[in-house]
Amino acid sequence: MVFTLPREGTTKWLEKLLEAGEVIAPVRGPCGDVIFSALRSPSQVLWDFENPLHPPKQFVLPQTDPLVKIKLNGQRHEVEAIYDDAPRTLFNVRSCDVTGIAFLTRMHEAEPADASYLRRVHNLTIISLACTTPCPAGFCVCTDSGPFLGTGYDLQLTDLGGTFLVEVGSKKGEAAMAKAPDLFRRVSDDAVTQRKALEAAARTRFGPETCHFGSAMRRISTGRVPDALWEKMAGWCLECGGCNFVCPTCYCFSVKDLRQNGTWVRCRMWDSCQYAAFTLEASGHNPRAQHKERMKRRFFHKVSAQYYSRDAAVGCVGCGRCIKTCLGSTHMPAVVAAIRKGKWHE
Amino acid sequence: MKSVPTTCPFCACGCGFYLLANRDGLIGVAPSETHPVSLGRLCARGWSAHEAALWGNRLTQPLVNRDGKLGSVSWVEALDHVGVRVKALLDAGKSIGVLGSARATNEENYLAGKLARVGFQTNNLDFSYHSICGPLLAGIEEVCGEYTPSISLNDIESSQTILLIEGDLAETHPRAASAVMAAVEKGAHLVTIAYTETQLSRLASLILPARPGNEGEVIDGLLAAVMQLGLEDRVAVEAHCEGYDALRGNLEAVKITAEMRQSAEWIARAPRATFLIPPVSGQDTPSRREAGALATLAAVTGHLGRQGSGVLPLLARNNVRGACDMGIAPDRLPGYRLLDDQESQQRLQSLWGRALPMAPGLDAESMLQSVSALIVLADDPAAVLPMGQRAMAALGRIEFLVVLDAFLTPTAQIAHVAMPISSYAETEGTITSIEGRVQKLHVATDPPGEACPGWQVLAELCARFDVEATYSSATDVLSEVGRATTRYARMGQSEDRWGGIGMAKDSNGRKFKLVAAGAPPLTCAEGQHVLVRDGDFDWGRDPLVAFSPTLGRDHQSQQKLFPKGCVEMCKQDADGVGVHPGRPVRLTSIHGDAVVPIRVRTDLKPGVLLVPYAFRDHLANVLGTNSVTAVKVEQA
Amino acid sequence: MNDVFLPDIACLEKVRDETPDTKTFTLRFRDHPNGNHFHFLPGQFLELSVFGCGEAPFCIASSPTRPGVLETTVRRTGQLTDQLHKLGNGDEVGIRGPFGNGFDVQAARGKDMLFVAGGIGLPPLRSLIWNILDERDCFGKVTILYGARTPHDLVYKDELEVWGKRSDVELLVTVDVAEPNWTGNVGVVPILFSKVSLHPESTLAYVCGPPIMIRFVVRDLLKRGFKEETVISTLERMMQCGIGKCNHCAIGHRYICRDGPVFNYREIAELVE
Repeated sequence: MVFTLPREGTTKWLEKLLEAGEVIAPVRGPCGDVIFSALRSPSQVLWDFENPLHPPKQFVLPQTDPLVKIKLNGQRHEVEAIYDDAPRTLFNVRSCDVTGIAFLTRMHEAEPADASYLRRVHNLTIISLACTTPCPAGFCVCTDSGPFLGTGYDLQLTDLGGTFLVEVGSKKGEAAMAKAPDLFRRVSDDAVTQRKALEAAARTRFGPETCHFGSAMRRISTGRVPDALWEKMAGWCLECGGCNFVCPTCYCFSVKDLRQNGTWVRCRMWDSCQYAAFTLEASGHNPRAQHKERMKRRFFHKVSAQYYSRDAAVGCVGCGRCIKTCLGSTHMPAVVAAIRKGKWHE
Repeated sequence: MKSVPTTCPFCACGCGFYLLANRDGLIGVAPSETHPVSLGRLCARGWSAHEAALWGNRLTQPLVNRDGKLGSVSWVEALDHVGVRVKALLDAGKSIGVLGSARATNEENYLAGKLARVGFQTNNLDFSYHSICGPLLAGIEEVCGEYTPSISLNDIESSQTILLIEGDLAETHPRAASAVMAAVEKGAHLVTIAYTETQLSRLASLILPARPGNEGEVIDGLLAAVMQLGLEDRVAVEAHCEGYDALRGNLEAVKITAEMRQSAEWIARAPRATFLIPPVSGQDTPSRREAGALATLAAVTGHLGRQGSGVLPLLARNNVRGACDMGIAPDRLPGYRLLDDQESQQRLQSLWGRALPMAPGLDAESMLQSVSALIVLADDPAAVLPMGQRAMAALGRIEFLVVLDAFLTPTAQIAHVAMPISSYAETEGTITSIEGRVQKLHVATDPPGEACPGWQVLAELCARFDVEATYSSATDVLSEVGRATTRYARMGQSEDRWGGIGMAKDSNGRKFKLVAAGAPPLTCAEGQHVLVRDGDFDWGRDPLVAFSPTLGRDHQSQQKLFPKGCVEMCKQDADGVGVHPGRPVRLTSIHGDAVVPIRVRTDLKPGVLLVPYAFRDHLANVLGTNSVTAVKVEQA
Repeated sequence: MNDVFLPDIACLEKVRDETPDTKTFTLRFRDHPNGNHFHFLPGQFLELSVFGCGEAPFCIASSPTRPGVLETTVRRTGQLTDQLHKLGNGDEVGIRGPFGNGFDVQAARGKDMLFVAGGIGLPPLRSLIWNILDERDCFGKVTILYGARTPHDLVYKDELEVWGKRSDVELLVTVDVAEPNWTGNVGVVPILFSKVSLHPESTLAYVCGPPIMIRFVVRDLLKRGFKEETVISTLERMMQCGIGKCNHCAIGHRYICRDGPVFNYREIAELVE
């Protein structure tokens, strides 16, 4: 089902959405960065913006995620799951991020399913804004995660100029439209044609970043990346973990108990496979003590055929965030290119 | 959920990010692309900056030691108790000291200094890390007249030649390492002076090997090479330098290698060159002279005072520079001016309304060992000072120990009075980075229990000692700092959107006084090895790392694996002594002996033994107060 | 949809010292006294919470043929196990699980069973040993070869005696370093091979212990004609969630907590580090 929404109607629609729960959208933050934030008013929403560096995965998988509360009642321990089923809407998220969330959902739906994650995502409505102008660092065409999407969204908006095309992807999307039904009109053939043309045009307008996963995947999957290459690349990585934290498809975590107000709260916390302590055992043994081993591990998880067949996708949505946040120079396109060519910095 | 912009509390690079917080407290960190230093990036420590404040063992109530146990009291009781006890000790003619901190804000340090100088009329004022960085800064100051000529991390990135005296920059200052790597990627020549192999030394165009503690020898070699090859910048030497001919004569006989020649060329011919040097902790002279020689090298090749070039001292902790600028040293005033600086004296006297104590005070280590009362601000001296655990014994003997901290550190645990203050995430205040960038902290969450911002607690303490201290905000304190030293005079007048409120700088336009590093301090007899204390800071014991579940893991594991510490050596040396990895050796020096297990490293040269800074306690007998010493090694 | 991070509460019913640094804990679910809800296979593990410390994975050392009894044997190695060792009868812990693939008991029916264990490697095998002994007729020969550094380091000392006395079990024990009253074998575990007759074509070999012991034992077994598929071991990795999501225990695309911890040597050889 496809509809249109006049530009002027977005304010009223957002007001209605705000009545029903939190609406998170890209806004201009206190220091000029574009950040995802819970709206106080529809006027904050940005429509023409560079994708925030901090991805929206924080709204389904917070960096510190309380899971279980443990109380001591005399001598008796009581445990209870911590519920977060607050209704939320993600508004004006980009195709790459929608794909990222869909990826994370598949990971957490896999047996045994993680109720904590799924509760959040089941109460989350995703309204995306298709990218008619791809971002400079993005390469979503290489990962089948943009610039426009066929699935994964509850609603996909396309900016046609005076109006938005609204493609419905799910019942949740319908429900979101039903908050302000008068604003939406059934679409004309012209609008659909226009949208198709915009998509075709967008696909030709990507920036210089590309990432041809094919041959890199073959080499990684068959163990044909020389150790010496991993070693060289590891020399250019500062193990900050930034790539893991900004990546829409990374979800490695640790579980720790936090003492808070006389109780314990068991929290899931973002962790990074690039940290030496990630595989450090209590005995002091560390199977990935060497930096190059950890780097090899990361790219096996992201780019191998073994994981591709498990996850139905490469562990990358082409958002370009790792390029921006890498303290060294070992972001996804650089490493994939090095693996393809068999050399680094030459 | 809110995103609160703030400045990183870890190393001195001065990055910024958003702290994410909800009702229950801090939940995470988000990067900023607009921050002028971070530019969208953070290191591992920055990414977990939210953890310690939340997960750490926090001081939440004012505590007073009664009958050997710390019990909670009200703020008024605690403050009054300190007032009464300290006054009694002062009246009895006993000595008192104040320790500021490299992890406290400028406002906190300034007020600690005011309390000491005006309230207690003493110059017994210092901070633990100062004993490590003081000589380095003095060495640069001797040459430049200015203890830290300002270059930025971006300058490093755009240099054509970088000379790095390497500790392990990737570990100590990842953001600076990032700048070096970016420069190398663009074709810059990186020259490292090192005695181990590190991540950055592997990227170097040239490694100039140095014997530990003898980096000065290499720098003198580079100076000699510059002079012998006629590579000095004639214009700069004539216009800005003093003592060139004497220096030249001094270094005539120095032998130079081909690598030194090549490095000298790269330095001299580079339009922009940056010189990075960490402190070498321990004996005063070598670190000071080495730093002076490095500044001299920069001066004679025209790289001092040239835009984009200069010397950067690699100070470990986020507010070392700020602590220096606030005058937290027994022989320094705000602005890091010397105690006898007339202009500063007059300025402060008129600002504070009282004459300043004239006699230089005790430094941190001496203070611990001799004062009757000590006020410690946000510090755990045993974790920072080279003397390590011996500091705990000294602290234990102090008659009246007062600690102000956010965290329940080992020092706080033995205090007579412990006062809970805000962590960096819970207070307003400013931090001065390695570049001299003065940046703000913002409140992201409430401090726990009854903890208060440190500047408020210090203002209350000041009041109890008749020191004028009425401030309605941290900004008020900073305004006063601006009147105490010209370095901070124009602060806050134009704030960039990240709360960067200016660069702390001073210049006096005098000529550079050239020096050489001079004779190597250490000679080894036949059959002896050199034992060096490697590094100048133990991040594992810093509360912001120790209390972070993500960051504390490696350090805790190391401590567990090596409960008796360790000494590192190459395989050749291990075989020479006939000892396998993990087995103990006895090390004997003129100071004493110790038994420790060995660890074998492939990158050490024969004759060089390392003890990591985190394990220095186990070799305290052998090292004495030095960072380098000659030892005999034998099976234990 | 389960809250997969929510532990069940269990009480310590019995604590037995095995060695100076190892204890066996018998656990009983507080809110499910029969323990009937907890169905597990030998070789599976549980995530045990020591409240106030955290959680860690420990193999289940008791057999599913004895429902209501849940045992785990734990060596003191760090903060959490230190705290666990301080607990006594009646103290509460948390349990999540069972996790992991477990041993394929069905596929072992009719086969001869060879158990080779070193030190703290015996607990994971004990679960399978008792399972087999409780269904003795379903299995062929049972041979147990066990060694530790010193006699004091042997775990399950009482049970070793019980097994040794059984006519349908061949048990050989050795120590690296003897003590005055020790009358048994002295030497590393592989020396025991020459004292038993092995039939690789009809035997499954289960090997657990320190990595270096495993290496030598496996090499020996393969030389004696065992096929890689018939040599079975358990792998260990740093774990957090136990359910294949946190990624700490991943080796290639295999997760020790889901695809393991039990692997045969063919599978181990295929793991991509």
